[in-house]
Amino acid sequence: MTRILAGLFTLVGVAVASDAPAQGASGNPERARSIASAVCSGCHGPDGNSVQAVHPKLAGLQAQYIAKQLKDYQAGKRLNEVMGPVAGSLSPENVEDLAAYYNQQKPAPGTVRDKALLDLGRKVYEDGNAESGVPSCSGCHYPDGSGTARFPRLAGQHPEYTLNQLKQFGASKRENDRGLVMQSVALRMTEQEMKAVAEYVASLP
Amino acid sequence: MVKRLLIAAVMAILPAGGSAAVPEQPKGKGIESRDYRWNELTGEEAEALRRKGDAQRGRQAYEVCQGCHRPDGSGRPDGAYPQLAGQHATVLIKQMTDIRAGTRDNPKMYPFSTPHVINVQEIADIAVYLEGLAIPRHNAKGPGADLERGRSLYDKDCKTCHGANGEGNAAKFYPVLAGQHYPYLVRQARDIRDGKRRNANPKMVKAVKGYSDGELEAVSDYMSRLALAKKRKPAK
Repeated sequence: MTRILAGLFTLVGVAVASDAPAQGASGNPERARSIASAVCSGCHGPDGNSVQAVHPKLAGLQAQYIAKQLKDYQAGKRLNEVMGPVAGSLSPENVEDLAAYYNQQKPAPGTVRDKALLDLGRKVYEDGNAESGVPSCSGCHYPDGSGTARFPRLAGQHPEYTLNQLKQFGASKRENDRGLVMQSVALRMTEQEMKAVAEYVASLP
Repeated sequence: MVKRLLIAAVMAILPAGGSAAVPEQPKGKGIESRDYRWNELTGEEAEALRRKGDAQRGRQAYEVCQGCHRPDGSGRPDGAYPQLAGQHATVLIKQMTDIRAGTRDNPKMYPFSTPHVINVQEIADIAVYLEGLAIPRHNAKGPGADLERGRSLYDKDCKTCHGANGEGNAAKFYPVLAGQHYPYLVRQARDIRDGKRRNANPKMVKAVKGYSDGELEAVSDYMSRLALAKKRKPAK
């Protein structure tokens, strides 16, 4: 049975990994201004630097990442009762434009809530936990938290938001991660490690 | 009908949330099986060896590996993760595909090396990228207490395959040893001796079968001090 399951995972997985790489930014940020102001700014702030920690900061995120999240909300691959309907109302062009718009906004510095956790946070972020098999975060997200074309920027994000996402990945309630990598990582993290790394990420400029 | 069954099966293994969707390593037939043959060059291994690797693509595909193996491929001095820089591409392909096939047990690495994450072409790309990196000189060395014994054991049992300077043999899938961390060398040698490294070469198992822990440590210590004169040119 296990072998059948593994075989199926392989079938499913091949389709995932052979997907074309994410497209570069093709949207027009100017065209996105009216939607950003009328629809998004209420939660995410006028420049994508949200004030309330429950809403993620979008400023400076990779355009590919923003576009992927919006498309995943549209397709039901990422679930959120607010973002589902909002994303559903966007055209493919809107998605690319908004992605380009928020990518160009200047990220505001993050706010650390619990400085006592920063040392542990840095250790997990830069060194992982070899015993439990948690890779360092810096491998994919880079030491400064700036991310890459395939893995999002984390620097300066609200710690509450980062923690919430880590918990969701760990419980496989958020399942739209590339190659199941974040679910695999978060499943191995303790809650303390998640909290600490979320604080450390907030401290990155 | 088949399609509907497949969908049902996929739904069953990708539950709507709340339970782990993370893949577990399969168990392939290893050295414990009667009909085990080392390095048969079938399946994904053969496929990846046929592909022409591209170091630039490999650099990007390697992103998901460097959280453990580090951006320079040097792994961890405590031996939890091996040094990979400058390793033969053939060896890297064999080990990655053996882990995917479940003939080398590595539940920690498995979720980051499945087809969800990297495809067969990327295995070849990563291998050629790592092969082109310089072998670091700052690997963890052993205690240095018994190097003469280590040298004589190495000369007697290891040198023929792994080479006088630990250069290995790309064509025969024998790994580079030079630059490897001492604790990793000890752990692998012990696992090979004890049958826990299930994709081991039976010739090597035979060579170290009679070794005491002390002998394994002495020879690993000697190996951790081997160094190659200069960076080898990538083979591809």
